[in-house]
Amino acid sequence: MTQTNRSSRAPGSEMSLSKHERNTNTAIYIVLSVISAIWLLPFIFLVLQSFRSYLTENGGMVNYLIPKKFSLDNYQFLFSSECNFFTWYLNTLEIAAICAVLQTMIVLSVSYALSRMRFRGRRLIMNLILVLGMFPGFLTMICLYFLLRTLGLTQEGAIPGLILVYVASSGMGYYISKGFFDTIPKSLDESARIDGATRFQVFLSIIMPLSKPIVIYTALMAFMAPWADYVYASYVAFGKPDSFNVAVGLFRWMVTKDYQGYFTRFCAGGVLVSVPITALFLVLQRYYVEGVTGGAVKG
Amino acid sequence: MAFGTKRISDLEYLGLSPFQRFLYRLTCFLVSLPGALARGVENGAKTVARFLKIVWRELADLVMTFVNGDAYTRLSYLIMGAGNAARGQYLRAACFFLAQAAFNVYLFLFGWPYLSKLGTLGTVETTKVGRKTVYGDNSFFILLYSLLTIFLIVLFVYLWHSNIRQSRKSYEMKKAGKHLATAKEDLASLLDGQFHKTLLALPMAGITAFTFLPIVFMILVAFTNFDKTHQPPGKLFTWVGLDNFREMFTTSTSRYASTFSEVLTWTLIWAFFATFLNYFLGMIVAIMINKKGIRFKKMWRTILVMTIAIPQFVSLLYVSKMFASDGLINSYLLKWGWIKTPLPFWTKASWARITIICINVWIGIPYAMLICTGILMNIPADLYESARIDGANAFQAYVKITLPYMLFVTGPYLLTSFIGNINNFNVIYLLTQGSPKGMELESPAGYTDLLITWLYKMTVDNTEYRLAAVIGIAVFVLTAVTSLIVYNSIPSVRNEEDFQ
Amino acid sequence: MKKFLSMLLAVAMLLTVCAFSVAETTGFDGEIKVWVADAAVEFTKAQIDAFKAANAEYANMTVTVEPMGEGDAATAMITDVESGADIYGFAQDQLSRLVAAGALEEVAPDNVPLVTAENDAGSVAAATLGDVMYAYPLTSDNGYFLYYDKSVVTDPNTLETIIADCEKAGKGFYMEINSGWYQTAFFFGAGCTLTYDVNNEGSLVACHCDYASENGVKALKAMISVAKSPAFSNASSASNATNIGAIVDGAWDAKTVQEKLGDNYAATKLPTVAGYQMGGFGGFKLLGVKPQTDDAKLAACDALAYYLASGDVQAARYDALQWGPSNLEAQKLDAIQTNAALSALAAQLSHCVGQGQYPNDYWSLATALADSVIAGEYDNYTDEQLLEVLQTFQDTAISYAAN
Repeated sequence: MTQTNRSSRAPGSEMSLSKHERNTNTAIYIVLSVISAIWLLPFIFLVLQSFRSYLTENGGMVNYLIPKKFSLDNYQFLFSSECNFFTWYLNTLEIAAICAVLQTMIVLSVSYALSRMRFRGRRLIMNLILVLGMFPGFLTMICLYFLLRTLGLTQEGAIPGLILVYVASSGMGYYISKGFFDTIPKSLDESARIDGATRFQVFLSIIMPLSKPIVIYTALMAFMAPWADYVYASYVAFGKPDSFNVAVGLFRWMVTKDYQGYFTRFCAGGVLVSVPITALFLVLQRYYVEGVTGGAVKG
Repeated sequence: MAFGTKRISDLEYLGLSPFQRFLYRLTCFLVSLPGALARGVENGAKTVARFLKIVWRELADLVMTFVNGDAYTRLSYLIMGAGNAARGQYLRAACFFLAQAAFNVYLFLFGWPYLSKLGTLGTVETTKVGRKTVYGDNSFFILLYSLLTIFLIVLFVYLWHSNIRQSRKSYEMKKAGKHLATAKEDLASLLDGQFHKTLLALPMAGITAFTFLPIVFMILVAFTNFDKTHQPPGKLFTWVGLDNFREMFTTSTSRYASTFSEVLTWTLIWAFFATFLNYFLGMIVAIMINKKGIRFKKMWRTILVMTIAIPQFVSLLYVSKMFASDGLINSYLLKWGWIKTPLPFWTKASWARITIICINVWIGIPYAMLICTGILMNIPADLYESARIDGANAFQAYVKITLPYMLFVTGPYLLTSFIGNINNFNVIYLLTQGSPKGMELESPAGYTDLLITWLYKMTVDNTEYRLAAVIGIAVFVLTAVTSLIVYNSIPSVRNEEDFQ
Repeated sequence: MKKFLSMLLAVAMLLTVCAFSVAETTGFDGEIKVWVADAAVEFTKAQIDAFKAANAEYANMTVTVEPMGEGDAATAMITDVESGADIYGFAQDQLSRLVAAGALEEVAPDNVPLVTAENDAGSVAAATLGDVMYAYPLTSDNGYFLYYDKSVVTDPNTLETIIADCEKAGKGFYMEINSGWYQTAFFFGAGCTLTYDVNNEGSLVACHCDYASENGVKALKAMISVAKSPAFSNASSASNATNIGAIVDGAWDAKTVQEKLGDNYAATKLPTVAGYQMGGFGGFKLLGVKPQTDDAKLAACDALAYYLASGDVQAARYDALQWGPSNLEAQKLDAIQTNAALSALAAQLSHCVGQGQYPNDYWSLATALADSVIAGEYDNYTDEQLLEVLQTFQDTAISYAAN
């Protein structure tokens, strides 16, 4: 990326920096440090709270930051048999993994068809998706619930039910990858077609290899979303703790009266959810940046 | 204003001061509003007219095909696939025939009993036999499955129509001695000429069943009395025309109208700040990080970007507790003696609103920063170079070069993010759940509720589905009008073919 | 030990239950779904096993117990009655809503006289709409009172001194006055009333409210002065409170408060404010059966619900979970008489009225009133202006009964 080129040029020019320039840079370093602190502190607090013992310091809210004694109680509790956390975690992992695969396939199919092919009804489909996207999602909650119930995919079947809901509507989010496909020159397809390749072969062996960033971006987004879904997941799985995802299970600790003093355990659960996602995200950050930037410019 | 509303030439424009330029552009924008709206309506009307014309032409075509076609073509009006079978296209014939059979079975065994009750949404009340309950009609399922049936009927009519068209076409081609596609060729074309059908079939089926159908369903609910006192399966609900809209928007009869305008106003204020404040601050952060000579660029960026990866139900819930009256922030401020009484972050409406906007900056800056970073790189460096030679300082360069360029390129992003913020459920719900409430507001709305959270609370807490549906439609209108105006007034609506 | 106890109870129960179930001619061996509060799941499972062991005709039925918060149960039931539980516990304020949504079956006629005789009058009234009993009383402890830190609060009898003590010690006074439930402590204590008449079908038919009165103004002024204190926090959840000097909370939080206050833990009835004793609601938890399409299943549900709400199970539930019983016999047990939290509750309940039925909109309205108080909007209001506010409140509250 270009930014590395630019920064590598920086040390050489530093010699000739004027005093004014240096002052500006110092100011910028100060501002950036303050900002970084503001951005990081809540997470540091969260981690600190998760090490506060449920047994000795009460798991509820306190008005100090550093635990009097560090302990792993909360983490032990999460994986003990008293608690469904592990089930919830696996549920969410299952949903996220399947969604990442299926949603990517669907999004790529839709965006490839709409970007590369011209056929009757193409405008109609694009306009339909545009208009449908303007309705607020939660409006249809009750209707979706009963559609899923008709299929037997609520409560006990909530996990496949949720996957179905996420995947079924994922074609609506084709914009960013269509924008990406739009930038790949059409002449590539055409020359391959002249050589006798079918559309399918073009898609598979010419376009796909070029689309690694957008494939990873789409899969990453699809993988991350289910971890945070509280509203739909709780609406579909109510009354069946074995079908909860992590968000529903943990969130209930904070809103149900029976879980007094589960705050530190909530924090520990939050840390366990955040760590792998953050790690994954940081590793794939480059693709994410390419995805959002491309999507923003091409709309 | 000297220049009024008439268009001025480029030369005159350049002669204006920055403030006048701004005024001029603002006036132009406002003047173009009615035009943009009218254009939207006009386009809509044109589409409808075109649609009617197509329907008329197809109908006429159907009659002519029947009159001119051979016996098999005529037979395919009754039995789908007959024409294809007669010309030896057995695969297509079988598909058509099976589709027809399946549709008939569905319609008569499942669909029709529901569809026939659509007019009343059910009349058989739930009764008691002894102590046992005997459920009557279920209005919800009548409405839902009737809609499903109507969707399938539309699909069937489309298939039926293409069956006739194919029958005629194959008849004509055979007569002209042309080659008809074999089953093998048909299958092969699904990966080639007809590849889009293969690609789009499943996704579109999913969208139709799980987005389109539910949305139409909820739009229809806005015209029924489906609420807590008409709750299936125990009770029936029925059509009530425009009563719900009247209840929501008539000022004299209920407090809903005033609550609606209060919530709507806050929704717009929120969306404005959440979009533009984040955008400008994000841009400034991006400029700082990208400035020549600043080190550890990657580290600064990574720290900010981490907020995107951590699920909001963890981070926002935690932050909301931090700002409670006895939360971390107030506790430490009190401990250090900076304040005497806790700051009312969540308890005063105005404080709560400002706190929400500030916390949202915390969430929003990383996104904006990432987007701006990518685009800032693309601004030609010689632009800045020549500006510097002309004696412009950093601020002037920003205002004259960076800002216009960024606004131009990210126009569509700003629109999407404005609309996204109108529907930004998580931030509000996890931070305040709409509180604090006020005596002037109809329950269950609060001063920090957006239309979307109000809608959610009406659905889940109050089971007022009919009014929630009205709010949903209002959100749609709001979004649609905003998009229409913006799309019609920003210059950078690009032709999608431009890139290829 | 607990298991042994419940087995013992089960055996003891044998006679009672048998006497009742003789009337049932047919058994049931299908599936029954039960929702109880998260904390009560294990307890309820054990009790159901005991029930099945004691009743041969129900020995083969499958009972699943799932956790469902008592506040969420009503919402979930109303969303989808058919997938909801057959038997479920809920807080009484949801009764009319559940009945109106068709999610509650009437109590079996045979059981009505038994339930009426065995439980305290308040809980029976709370389970009844018009003249129909819709649910089985489960507990009679849904009230609130004062917990305080002995080292901070010198005199727990007047709210003014409690707050002054807390301010002095830099501690907090916690009371969730923006909840319609806690808020009545001010209004009802000052002599105001707010009740709704509900018909047999769960619809509100009338509202009796006199908040717009001299007493109402007195109560509102008391709220305003409390909310002004820097020590005040609008919350009544002990585990979320970081700095307890005193907290108005319920018996379910006794353990948490004890942990947080340690040796300084104390509980008593609510204090006086502005010279009058604070009042409030006495509430109840109920166990309901949803309408069934099968007579045999309905009979099985009724038998099981009656059993789970019976005196001995209530006593066992107190042992396991510290839920205060509504059953008159169980209330006489020594352990219950000597429990600090429950005796504070009992002392407070004599100043309270049994909680009737309130529409969801009432809770919202009460929140709105108190949110304005906490935000300081009324700080400089004259008595006339406050009366006006209360008049609006009263008119709105009455308007909910109009449809």
